Amino acid sequence: MITAEQKPIEEIIEYIAPYDRILLVGCNECVTVCAAGGRKEVGLLASALHLHSLKQGKTVDIKEITLERQCDPEYVEELVSLIDSADAILSMACGCGVQTIAGRYKDKPVYPAVNTKFMGASESQGIWAERCKGCGDCLLGVTGGVCPVARCSKQLMNGPCGGTSNGQCEISPDTDCAWRLIWERLKALGMEKRYIEVMVAKDWRPAGGGGPRRIVREDLT
Amino acid sequence: MNLKNKLTNGEFSVIAEMSTPKGVDISDLVTSARNLKSRVDAVVIPDMDNGVMHMSAIAGAALVRQQGIEPMIHVYGRDRNRMALQGDMLAAHVLGIPNLLVVQGEEMSLGDHQDAKLVDDLNERDILVMVDTLKKGSDLAGFELKGSPDFFAGCQVNPMTDDKDLDAEFNRAKEKVDAGAQFIIVPPVFDINSYTPILEKFKSLDVPVIATVFLLKNVGMARYISINDPGSRLTDALITRIRTAKDRETECIAVAGEMIQALGKVVHGVKISAMGWEDRLPAILDSAGI
Repeated sequence: MITAEQKPIEEIIEYIAPYDRILLVGCNECVTVCAAGGRKEVGLLASALHLHSLKQGKTVDIKEITLERQCDPEYVEELVSLIDSADAILSMACGCGVQTIAGRYKDKPVYPAVNTKFMGASESQGIWAERCKGCGDCLLGVTGGVCPVARCSKQLMNGPCGGTSNGQCEISPDTDCAWRLIWERLKALGMEKRYIEVMVAKDWRPAGGGGPRRIVREDLT
Repeated sequence: MNLKNKLTNGEFSVIAEMSTPKGVDISDLVTSARNLKSRVDAVVIPDMDNGVMHMSAIAGAALVRQQGIEPMIHVYGRDRNRMALQGDMLAAHVLGIPNLLVVQGEEMSLGDHQDAKLVDDLNERDILVMVDTLKKGSDLAGFELKGSPDFFAGCQVNPMTDDKDLDAEFNRAKEKVDAGAQFIIVPPVFDINSYTPILEKFKSLDVPVIATVFLLKNVGMARYISINDPGSRLTDALITRIRTAKDRETECIAVAGEMIQALGKVVHGVKISAMGWEDRLPAILDSAGI
């Protein structure tokens, strides 16, 4: 999923300071799962913003809504009936959702209330970690299901660097060396031969080297 | 810093563009540079011109310096992060490269190494700020330098098709001048009359304006530019002139020479792009009376 974290409240306040009527829009997908921008977080942020405005002696009208998916034009259409009663939109979705709203409601300023972080997975309750860079040419089939692009600090493709120590990466003792994980997986699977097969310099075109990427499925268009 | 002094004193300056080889045979570059000694104020070396892998601009500029000509190099952020860029700037200074032209790198997808990874750490404005920071004696991380470099750094304006483009490019150029650009190089001029108001607008930024003179090599090239780059303002009359000339190559050189002369009355300098015909640069200068 796409992970996100709420922006510092000061930054959000600065964005919305010029406006009296705010439409605060959450998203029911990834940001709900990572507890950054779902219905609950929409309510909490609205309360914080109300409190701040009261302290300033100001009244701000904040309408709350959480869409099923902000990155889907079909659901973003649901804002039509609310849009005229707002001076600005504050989105708690990832960058995809913010841009879908901005593209649909061109005469309304849209501000992000979260920082989109990475494509990741939950390691344990409350902890998410990066797992995919969206490089467009998945290597997991040859690296034992551990991604060196997302999980090696140097994005090395042929084994660890000299900075690996006791199986951990030199950037932090909390960060596993991706190539240690890859080796352990390949060994457990009896695929050690894969480890010594040399990977040639990666083609970064599918990763976006040729500009913004699109997927066109003729069968669905 | 001959170029800087001349431009600062309001003297018309001439810069010639020369590319480094794709390989290590430097004979063409060195010969072309030698032929221009004492005839131009600087030679500008693009870096990975048009997104095509070449010998690095710093090496080319050092070679040009060895021939007794003041060099200028392109600097851009597509292939190098801020560490590599700063290291290269320090290297450039000690190799006798006093002039920088901060440009926008070609799209990777349009070059010859399309599978390469993009860097794009710093944009043009950021690079100008970086140069200014280095000149003041520290790096971008705030650490003091042991000896600071000095540069005459300028920026480039992209082709402009209409007034909207012109306004956007003008605003971008203003941002870059505010960030430290000391001169501006504008795109090729093929029609002095329609381009003069544009040049005058950029002159209002109060830094020297250098116009590009692009050597048309044949009718096909002129037609291609006219059709594919409406911002070139290349006229049918010019195409006809080249097409009907007895000796088209000589005519193309004459066209470039006349453009240099015409621009001498409007801007502070010219940058001549011969696009592989660097051996004709002396003839172009002869034609321009330089």
